[in-house]
Formats: sequence, C-alpha cells, structure tokens
Amino acid sequence: MAAVTDGGSGLPGAGEPPAVELESVTKRFGDFTAVDDISLGIEENRFFALLGPSGCGKTTTLRMIGGFEETTAGIIRLHGEDVTGRKPYRRMVNTVFQSYALFPHLTIFENVAFGLRRQDVSDEDIKHRVGEMLELVQLTGREKQKPRTLSGGQQQRVALARALINHPRVLLLDEPLGALDLKLRKEMQIELKRIQNEVGITFIHVTHDQEEAMTMADTIAVMHQGRIERMGTATEIYEDPRTGFVAGFLGASNLMQADVVDASIGEVVLAQGTRLRVSADQLSGEGRRVRLGVRPEKIHLTPADSPVEGNALAGRVIDASFIGVSTHYLVETEPIAQLAVMAQNLDDRRFAPGDSVQAVWRPEHTFVVT
Amino acid sequence: MSTVAQEAAPTTRGTNWRRKLVPYGLLLPGGLWLIVFYVVPMLRLVSVSLQTGIYPRYRFSWAWSNYAELVTNYGGQAVNSFAYALSATVIAFLIAYPLAYFIAFRGGRWKNFLLVMLLMPFLMPFLLRTLSWKIILADNGLVVDLFKALNLLGEDGRLLATGVAVVAGIVYNFLAFMTLPIYVSLEKIDRSLVEAANDLYASPAVAFRKVTFPLSRPGVVAGTLLTFIPAVGDYVNAVLLGTPQQFMIGNVIQSRFLVVLDYPVAAALSFTLMIVTVLLIIPYVRASGTEDLVA
Amino acid sequence: MTATTTASTRRKVMPFLRRHTLTLYAMVAFAYLFIPVLLVILFGFNDVSGRFNYSWEGFTLDSWRSVFLGAEFGGVPGLFDSLLVSLRLAFLSALGATVLGTLIALALVRYQFRGRSTTNLILFLPMATPEVVMGSSILALFLAIRFSLGFTTLLVAHILFNISYVVVTVKARLQGFDRHLEEAAMDLYANEWETFRRVTLPMIMPGVFAAFLLAFALSFDDFIISNFNSGQTVTFPLYIFGAAQRGIPPEVNVLGTLVFLVTVTIMLVNVWMQRRRT
Repeated sequence: MAAVTDGGSGLPGAGEPPAVELESVTKRFGDFTAVDDISLGIEENRFFALLGPSGCGKTTTLRMIGGFEETTAGIIRLHGEDVTGRKPYRRMVNTVFQSYALFPHLTIFENVAFGLRRQDVSDEDIKHRVGEMLELVQLTGREKQKPRTLSGGQQQRVALARALINHPRVLLLDEPLGALDLKLRKEMQIELKRIQNEVGITFIHVTHDQEEAMTMADTIAVMHQGRIERMGTATEIYEDPRTGFVAGFLGASNLMQADVVDASIGEVVLAQGTRLRVSADQLSGEGRRVRLGVRPEKIHLTPADSPVEGNALAGRVIDASFIGVSTHYLVETEPIAQLAVMAQNLDDRRFAPGDSVQAVWRPEHTFVVT
Repeated sequence: MSTVAQEAAPTTRGTNWRRKLVPYGLLLPGGLWLIVFYVVPMLRLVSVSLQTGIYPRYRFSWAWSNYAELVTNYGGQAVNSFAYALSATVIAFLIAYPLAYFIAFRGGRWKNFLLVMLLMPFLMPFLLRTLSWKIILADNGLVVDLFKALNLLGEDGRLLATGVAVVAGIVYNFLAFMTLPIYVSLEKIDRSLVEAANDLYASPAVAFRKVTFPLSRPGVVAGTLLTFIPAVGDYVNAVLLGTPQQFMIGNVIQSRFLVVLDYPVAAALSFTLMIVTVLLIIPYVRASGTEDLVA
Repeated sequence: MTATTTASTRRKVMPFLRRHTLTLYAMVAFAYLFIPVLLVILFGFNDVSGRFNYSWEGFTLDSWRSVFLGAEFGGVPGLFDSLLVSLRLAFLSALGATVLGTLIALALVRYQFRGRSTTNLILFLPMATPEVVMGSSILALFLAIRFSLGFTTLLVAHILFNISYVVVTVKARLQGFDRHLEEAAMDLYANEWETFRRVTLPMIMPGVFAAFLLAFALSFDDFIISNFNSGQTVTFPLYIFGAAQRGIPPEVNVLGTLVFLVTVTIMLVNVWMQRRRT
C-alpha cells in the first residue's frame, strides 16, 4: 500500500520530520495479521484519530507506537528517530489507557508524579508541576485521595494529567472515553480538544466512535482489517469516502451500481435506466462499472409530480421517524431497497409512509467508491 | 504488494531470547524443590517398596510380596481405613451440605462472618481439638449416657475405643474440607435459575433436586475427595480415640516406618495408598483439566 | 373449636418451621463445631494436679499462672520449648514457601511456557497426597542420603507441602490484576525491575501476605509429616501427641488456648483490613 501521509496540512514543514512515522509496519499474532503493512506520517501538534471497528488493528497500532507490542516487521520513528524494538520506558511518548490504569495503592499525587520520580526530578519541582497539572485538569485538592474514591470522569482526568506532566512529544489515547456516560463523554471530547490545543503536542486517539473522531480530530485514519483505508480531515473522508467500507462506517451511504455512459461529462446510468450525473473528475480512472453513493442529508424529498433539478430517483416512503431535529425517511426505490434520507425539520412539509416521492440531490454531492 | 522493512531492529531479537527464559527462571527454585523433595522421594518409594532386608541393610529384589502383605497381614486395618473413611465422608457430607446451603443461600450480609465462624474452630490446634472428643465421648459423659438412654448402647457400652469414636473424630477434623468446596459451588449458582424453576411450576423441593443440587455437584465432588483421601491415610484419630483394634493403614505405615523400621513393607503400603489416591483423582482431573487444579 | 385451632396453628407453625429449620440446624451445627474448642479452653482452668485432664475437678487459674509466671513452667518440661520450635519452624517455612511459591505463581499467570500442564500437575499432587505418604517418602529420602533428622529436615518438609498452597493463594490474587498497570508504569519510564518493585509487588502483597499466613498456620498445626521427619526435635503438636499417651496437663490447654486466640485475632484483623480495602 502506498505511503499515506497526513493529508491535513499537505507537505510537512521544511526539514521537520513528522512526529510519528510508521514505515511498512506489520503485526502478526500467529496466523492472524492484526496490522498489515501500514505506513503513515503524523505531523506535530496534530489531533490525530485512528478510527475503525473492533478488531481492525487500531489499538494494536497504538500499542506498537507506545512500545507495548513489538512489530513483526517495519520501522517506527518518533521525531525522526528509529525507536523500533525500544521499551516503553525509553520512548518519549505517554499513554492514557482505556481502563485508566491508575495505581490503586498510590495517592493521586503519587500517581501523577510517578513518571517524574523515575526521571529524578527534585521534590520541589514535582510538587509544583503536579499542582499545575491538577489545575489543568481541574482536580486541585484531591492529591491525597486514592483513585477508587474518584468517579470515572475524574479518574480519566488523573490518567491524562499523569501522562501529560512528563511533557511527552506525543500522547497516545486508547479509547479513553469508552467507559463514560454520554453526557460526560461529550464534555470530555471538548476538554481533550481544548487541552491538546493548549499544550500543543500531538495526540493520537484510538476510537470506534466516528462521531467522536470527527468532533475531535484534525486528521482521521479509518482502519479496516489491519489496513488504513482512508485518511484525511473529517470533511474529506465523509464527503469523499472512496471505499465502500469507509462510506458505510461513517454513516448511511446509499450505495448503488451504475455503468458509465460518458466519463467526460460524468454521466452514468443505473440498471433500470435512470440516468444520473456526477462530477467528471470522480470518474477519471474508473472502469465501466462504478459504485455511487450519496449521503442521506444531501437528499431532498419532493412530491412525485413536481419538477426536479439534478439527480432524482422515484420511490415510495416506507418509514418516517421524527427525531426532533430531523426526520429520517426510508424510501423504497428501484436501485436501493431502503434509501436513507434525512430531512431537517425546517418546514411542515412531511411525508408519511405510502407517499410517492422523488429523492433529489445535486450531482456534485454524489461520491464514487471502489 | 508490500516491501517488508529491510532490517528488523536487532534489539527485538535480543529481548525475545531473554524474555523466553524468564518464566523458567521463576519456576526454577520452587520447581527444583518440588522435584527433589516430592517427585524423587515418590519415585524412590516405589524402589524401596520392592526391597527386602532388615534395617539398615536393604537390597533391591523385586519383592512384590511386600505388597501382598496388605492383604495377608493388614487386611483388617485396610478394611478399617476404608470403612471409617467412607462413613466419615458420608456423615460429613450430610452435616456439611445443609450448613453450606445455609451460608450460601441464607447468609446474606452475614456470609463472610459465617465463613469466619466456620473456619475459626480449625484454628485451635488439631490434636487438642481431637482430644476434646475424649472428654465428650467419655464413659461417664453426657453423650454416652444419652445413647444408653436411647438404647443405642448397652449397659457397659463405650463409645471411646470404638470405631464410632474414630469416625466421629475424622468427621469433626475434616468437616471444613467438605463444607467449603460445597459452599463455593452453591454460592456461584445464579439465583435467577432457581426463580426460573419456580416460575416453571417447580416446588422448592423439586427446584432443589433438579436445579440447585446438580449445579452444586462440582463442589460436592471436590469436598468428597478432599475429605476421603486424607481420611483414608489418617492415623491420629485412631490413636487418640481408639485402640489397636481400630488401627488404620496409616497406623501401620507409621509403626512400620518409625518403630519397627520395616521400610520395604511400609513403603509398599504407602505406595498402595498413593495409587488409590491417584485412581480416585484421575477422573476428577480429566473432567476439569489441569488449569483449574491450582485454582 | 379445638380442631380449627390446631389446624390454624399448624398452618402457622409449618411455614415457620420450614423457614427456620435450616437456621436452627445451622445453629446446632455451629455449636457442634465450637463445643470441642470451648472444652479445650475450659479444661485449661481445670483444677487437676498432674496429668490426667479428662474430667472436671474444679475451677482454678493455677495453670494460667504457671504458664505466664513460672519461669520453668512448674514441672512441664519441654512444653514451652516445643512452642518456640513450632513458631520458628512455621515462620521460616512460611517464608521459604512464600518466596518459592510466589515466583511460581508469577510464572504461571504472567507467562506462556511449555510444560504448563506438567507444572500444574506437580503443584497439585502434593495437595492431594495423603500426609502419611508424603511424610514417609521424604523420610525415606533423608535416610537414604543419611541426613540426620531434626529441625532442618522438618523445615525442608514443611516448605515442601506449603509451596502448593502458596501458589494457589497468590495465583488467585494475581489473576485479578490489571495488566495495564504494569504497562502504565513502563509507559511512565519505570523499567522492568522498578515496575515490579513499585507496582506489581505492592499490589500483590495482600495476597502474598495471606499466603504467608496460611503457610504459617499449616506448618504450625502440622502433625503427621512432622511426626515422620523430626528425629529428636519436638514441635508443639508433637509434644501434645507424646503427652497424650502419658496424660496432658492443663498447661497444654492454656497454651493451646493462647495459640487459638492469637490466630483468631490475626484472622479477624486480616478480614477487617480486607473489608476496609473494598
């Protein structure tokens, strides 16, 4: 697989090596290949997310960067330095674990100070820095307590403080928000983003929640079966998923098969004869058969006989769910049995199951996947 | 499709080597101890059991006759061992099961306290506890009087110096070994299973028979083994509460080894006991696999 | 009127009985468990001069006095010495077994290695072996290498039978241990040794300590294996056994009671500390 570099900022800064670089990294457990030859570069000061379903290899990749797993093949570099094979305590990265892994027999103070103590920092300095860090995560005053007396959210912040206090150049986060309830999770997502901005280091965040990744990350790499399928900003990977998996993972994708009629103007035809238009550049390099998709929120429903502009599919509403902010429709059409449509509840025009409608969208909102 | 990185970092291979050896290093001291002082002696036991001679000169001579002595000379003690151990196990089971059930199902908040209470008597030195039974079963004591009143004993009947006393001692001393595994098994049972049974028209008695008891079987098996095996090899209860008539195989082994110094025969008897033990636990090990043996 | 009263009484009594039979039974069972222990304690107060302490003669504190105040325990030679021997033996063997056993438990829980089943088997067998067999086989070994029987042989034998119990106890504690804690320590710049010292060891300490206590108790109370391997050395249980033939003076009961009280206290403290932790 060709090297996939951080798409967000384009080229790395002149002469500056990326914060984290993986070169053809593979990890095998017996017969099972968890991480299959990935290469990627992550820039400084970036909030980077590794997104994917369980078992896609994202956590294994993170653990290899942290030094908790050895690579079967490949090189890992941190700021240009080859750290492959080095133990975790020799790498200038720190980790926030999914279970927080706070030392139960130590106080909050000692937990946060743990890394500093290993580096022979003076007692005074330690006291000062721990105080600073606890302030950053808003837990001042709890130094003497033990981890089990804190709530999940508080423990998580201690874990964060414990890692950040060591001024790592890269912070690894292994699904840190998984154990929190919804409201707290949303709060922490904003908190983490704020802290990353303030501290100015690279965060690598592993998650299976695409909403979380899209909220927090500057750059997202979507992983599937040990490979990176797509990397880019949230907008890029959402609007232009490029593969069927990524399209489906990030939301409903409404995929359909089509044959190319005229690539120069972007005209395609569906099996049943309906013609659609897509942007011409989407078709360059593709063969005769393509798969298209369109996001539910880009589709607009109009009554069956009204005039339309752009791409249109005729169909019948089979389900309408009022969610408050929006209404989710499922429309039965020829190419797609259940076309997902999401309409903002702007006006009172709502459709009910049984209504004959047309699903309309602008050609440039169509994406092509391999 | 991929070009594997040209050089795997040398450190990786280095640490792998050392890492593989660590567990063996950890096992070495303890493992060595066990091998030298358990495995080797066990094997030697077999060899000694096939020797003949008079202390201190023995020679190896495939003396299978040593094993035959179990039947020819010590048949009575063997029967005693088996009979007492079996009765004690059955009685212990009858006493322990309801007790374990009580703690597991009715214990509630007091479970831990009750377990502590269960174990506490066993903190009193074993021999002193056993000697108390000499007092309890004394000829002019309450229990004997009660038995006489109920016509269970004749006019000059005794409990001490009979098999009854020995069994009573064995039951008492091994009760914890029977109760605890049963308790653990019962405790693990999901209460909603019993409720489901009730929901499906089973009365409490039937629910117990068809749901609770079968699920407690692993504990019952463990408890039975943990009681029977040590009981068969016991000799202390027989000495303290009985007479030579009640002596068990353990007594014979002890005297043959320490008094008469007839090592070959003693070893043969000892090894026979070991074989019996192994035969009893093989099905158990087969059923649960080796991982669970050491918890 | 009487017929219905009996019927209605039965209706009230039966559920009461059914619910409470088990409780009543448990109370009887607990009484059964404790009565012999109480007898031991009681007969420490028996007013019996000399050795046959089987029937009650009267209440006295003489034996208690003689145990605490009498420098040579007024004519009970060897009793106190045997107690010291037992304490020393229990402490040392528990220590040895705990160290060896903890290492084995670490290997079993933390690592994959070949020979796992064999190891498990060799650890299990001593627990299943009848004490007569184990005691006699070790004795045969010592005799064959002409090693004189005494404290050392006792120590060796006691460490042996304790190892398996230590492994079981520590293993249980280790298995509940979050592996990520060690990774977190290494992530925070602690190398393997520092991680073990500052994270692993403190965390398994309660389990290791419990194993130590268990080994101590098993060693202190051991009779059969000691009987075979002690030579001339006399442990507390061996003393009692020897005395049983000749008659046991109340002072023995007193010491037994003291041992009992101390161990009960230790156990209760341990339990209380466990509760505080959870």
